[in-house]
Amino acid sequence: MTTTATPARTAAGADAAPARRARMSTRRREGGACAVLMTPFLVLLTIVFLIPVGTAVWLSFFSDDQPGLGFGPESTVFVGLRSYAAVLTDPTFLGGLGLVAVYCLIYIPLMVIAALALALLLDSGVVRLRASAQLALYLPHAVPGIIAAIIWLYLYTPGISPVVDLLAKGDITIDFLGVNTVLPSIVNIALWSNLGYNMVIFYAALQAVPREVIEASVVDGAGWLRTALQIKTPLVRSAVVMVALFTLIWALQLFTEPMLLSQSTPMINSRFTPSMYIYDAAFTRNNYSLAAAASVILLCCTIALSYGVTRFTTRSREEADR
Amino acid sequence: MPGRPSRRTLLAATAAPLAAGALGACSGGSSTTARTGGAVRITFWSALRGSQEVVDAFNRTHDRIQVDFQQIPSGGQGGYAKLSNAARAGNAPDVATIEYPQVPGFAIDGVARDITDLMGAGLRRKLLPQTLALTTFEKRTYSVPLDVEPMVLHYRTDLFEELGLEVPRTWDEFAEAARTVRRKSRQRRLVLFPTDGGMQFAAYAWQAGAQWFDTRDGAWNVSLADAPTRKVAAYWQRMLDEDLVFANGSESNQHKAQIGDGLVLTRLTGAWDAGAQMSAHPGAKGRWRVAPLPQWDTDRPTVGTHGGSTFAVTKDSRQPEAAMEFIEWQVSHPDALKARLSSGASSQYPAAPGLVDVGRKAFPEEYYRGQDIYTLFREQADTIRDGWLWGPRMTATQRVMQDGFAQAGGGAGSILGAVRKAQDGTMPDLKALGLSTTQRSS
Repeated sequence: MTTTATPARTAAGADAAPARRARMSTRRREGGACAVLMTPFLVLLTIVFLIPVGTAVWLSFFSDDQPGLGFGPESTVFVGLRSYAAVLTDPTFLGGLGLVAVYCLIYIPLMVIAALALALLLDSGVVRLRASAQLALYLPHAVPGIIAAIIWLYLYTPGISPVVDLLAKGDITIDFLGVNTVLPSIVNIALWSNLGYNMVIFYAALQAVPREVIEASVVDGAGWLRTALQIKTPLVRSAVVMVALFTLIWALQLFTEPMLLSQSTPMINSRFTPSMYIYDAAFTRNNYSLAAAASVILLCCTIALSYGVTRFTTRSREEADR
Repeated sequence: MPGRPSRRTLLAATAAPLAAGALGACSGGSSTTARTGGAVRITFWSALRGSQEVVDAFNRTHDRIQVDFQQIPSGGQGGYAKLSNAARAGNAPDVATIEYPQVPGFAIDGVARDITDLMGAGLRRKLLPQTLALTTFEKRTYSVPLDVEPMVLHYRTDLFEELGLEVPRTWDEFAEAARTVRRKSRQRRLVLFPTDGGMQFAAYAWQAGAQWFDTRDGAWNVSLADAPTRKVAAYWQRMLDEDLVFANGSESNQHKAQIGDGLVLTRLTGAWDAGAQMSAHPGAKGRWRVAPLPQWDTDRPTVGTHGGSTFAVTKDSRQPEAAMEFIEWQVSHPDALKARLSSGASSQYPAAPGLVDVGRKAFPEEYYRGQDIYTLFREQADTIRDGWLWGPRMTATQRVMQDGFAQAGGGAGSILGAVRKAQDGTMPDLKALGLSTTQRSS
């Protein structure tokens, strides 16, 4: 790159030269600033994202193979899509994907609606002690996921849980960790942890809604419920999309809660979700190519679904605008 | 030319001169298990009861080799993951304890070294050939059997008397006894169907003539749901459906309470469990006895095994000869068995028949009121059915099966469904490992 002008050229410069030089140096400075500001991001992106993803992709195409029964000398060979074929024909992996799909269908609408409803309530001024309510709702998010799972594990486990004991005294027997209740139990933990956080995002978005729009609706005779549903909600749609997207990405990687609950209930198996499948493939089955292939498939699913959500919402917005 | 040489072959190449050095007993070099003060130090990992006593006895009587023992969690509790990870990092112990079902997996992964040439003919002769068959593949041996554990029936004599039960000799009689218990006592059951008992179920199938894995024609042929297995699955399914058995984990506090409170009358487990019972329930002294496992056909009695361990020299060992010497002493020296039984928590049945008399003399007899359990074990060991093979990924196969058992115990799905799921969940794994496979599903 020729970034510095030589003195000789400056001396021989034509009339247009100073202006061009000024323009160029501005661009150079902008470029420099850009590079300085972007470098940390790019370095981090490379270290924590690109290199691991690259390694996973590489691992998924190679394997330490021994022919036949597998007792011979082992050699690293290119195996093409073999690991992918194995993952995609594994009913336990597909079962995990199906489970996460059901989980998303229950969890995402519940989360978005509940968080939005709470934010609208706080914003409408119906609730007193707004700051304390916000704090109380946000607090669970400050509890790390693993601690939250342990707390709920304690509350769910029959024999040690005060909740189960109390219900039993009232002649209500409920097994929070049974065949059909275990998924709702996990949804409950996730809701408890993340509701406050998403509510704060919605609340912040609601603060940005122009007051005159709301005043106009009040003048037109809309009650607070109608204002909330028909005026405020459409105006914070981008926040709704963002929350739905983040929740989706988080939900697809479901791991901590079921992993911990599986200590306490056989209804959560070792390959309950795709992330648990990956963990099991790598550390129980010692099958790193299989784990890598499953990871890449999960990554692709996440990217495709995220893209789908954004595309779907932009298109529906364009239609709404038209 | 199957590609470039892997880490394992490179390691073997670098380990060879070191091993030669150890033979000559000269400069050992830069190994982690170097000799100090003239003695070769080797490391040993095990989860087996009484291992510390055995190692102490070895170190007391040996000057040239000293063993550093580390008690690790049992395989399913993380012991196998620990071993795999250590091997991946290149610092596995010299000697590792591997149960029979996991031997093929660790051999395929290259964690267990091929010890065919390290093992002397004398040692081979001392061991039961059926046990060596379980650790030998394509004529190469990967680990040395320590014990072999035929399935037996442990039962509560006092409760059998109270309910007027005879010790059942066939599975039909066993089911009948289960019905009697259910009829006479509402909260008691004859036995547990362990939802975490993939290995017990395998032993039932083994007894009934199943062949989950075989290696004919150079491929792993998998048929978990073969006809004998279907018979066994139907039997236990009926026991579940008629509510004749408990269905929960066997390694749970719940089952401990079932045993402690006298709610369960029998345990169907390997011979080793007689010793485990003594240390877990010392208060029940004199109430338990051991009998042969019920049979399908009393004219031709057979059993499978449940439990039993082997010792492998790992690929990372720098002192394979010393490791082998320690292993040989552990599996064949009377002092080793005496030391293990002195812990009061073991009733190990040795894979070396020459040690059975030692075991009989050393086993504390008060708990079983003088019953000669070692003679019973020997009779049962003689009926272990030949030809059984474990698969290349038993830990995972077992887990998927047990996940299904837990569901079946909770009323969702069936035992046979769990077995089929285990096969379906195993095949992709084997294929992704690059093994030749065929499967029969029925």
